[in-house]
Amino acid sequence: MTKYALVTGGSRGIGRAICIRLASMGYAVLINFNNSPQEAEETLAAVRNAGADGELIRFDVTDREQAETALNRWAANHPGDYIEALVNNAGIRKDNLMLWMEPHEWDSVINVSLNGFYNITRLLLKNMVVKRFGRIVNIVSLSGIKGMPGQTNYSASKAGVIAGTKALAQEVAKRGVTVNAVAPGFIKSDMTQDMDENELKKTIPCGRFGTPEEVAALVGFLVSKEAGYITGEVISINGGIYT
Amino acid sequence: MDKTELIKLINENLAEEFEVDIETITPEAHLMETLDLDSLDLVDMVVLIEQNFHFTPKAPDFREISTFQDFYDFVESKMNERQ
Repeated sequence: MTKYALVTGGSRGIGRAICIRLASMGYAVLINFNNSPQEAEETLAAVRNAGADGELIRFDVTDREQAETALNRWAANHPGDYIEALVNNAGIRKDNLMLWMEPHEWDSVINVSLNGFYNITRLLLKNMVVKRFGRIVNIVSLSGIKGMPGQTNYSASKAGVIAGTKALAQEVAKRGVTVNAVAPGFIKSDMTQDMDENELKKTIPCGRFGTPEEVAALVGFLVSKEAGYITGEVISINGGIYT
Repeated sequence: MDKTELIKLINENLAEEFEVDIETITPEAHLMETLDLDSLDLVDMVVLIEQNFHFTPKAPDFREISTFQDFYDFVESKMNERQ
């Protein structure tokens, strides 16, 4: 029987690496994207290259109705199947000092990370509970654990998801559904390409930025059956930055 | 379906889902205590009702339910609303 996983924000960066990793584990991967159709196609090709099937599913995680319509359509086309693994990866940065932070910078970041977690998780959770197996992995951030200046919006959104992870984990633990968060530090991706890597890596004990594939390997483990006794955890992957 | 049949169906479903002896289910018995449910287990109750009686109860509905008789009346009223 085919196993299905959904990765939000799966077209680029860490999301793409997670899609490929899950494909290598035998998952048929639903690659969610919103603004990057070309990159999403490239991810789909990479997923198929990894030996599994995949499909693109376009919706904006902040739009509840759009997400529900897209996932209901998928369910109608896959009777008897369910999405057993959800990786809430979609996220955006709109950095600014609080003093100058515009309402749209605050709202959009909170909407994608925190409300996106709610919007998508609630749609898939019931089937996981009924089937007595599910894996939810939320991609958060070092920023959501220690707070980063210039990222009050991003830090708050990720800290909100961390708290939601811990609460939900306790709600569904008895039913074989685990809920965990992965908190990357500085990872080479589109999201960090505007950062001064040479300067920042001096602050990282490992002396380098991480790779999306390293994050994906951790997500893959948390999705695996072997990780069934880990739930409600926030696992840092940051090259030794003390949190 | 008349009420006697409905009660029989409810009792059979609850006994099977929550693994209790059907003899312990009586109209006066306390629903949550008899089935050994806490609030987190209500998700299973919601799914059971959706699958067997085709409506989705909300959290406040359960605040009004104490005994099995309350539960029978609740399910019956919701099913009547659908007709």
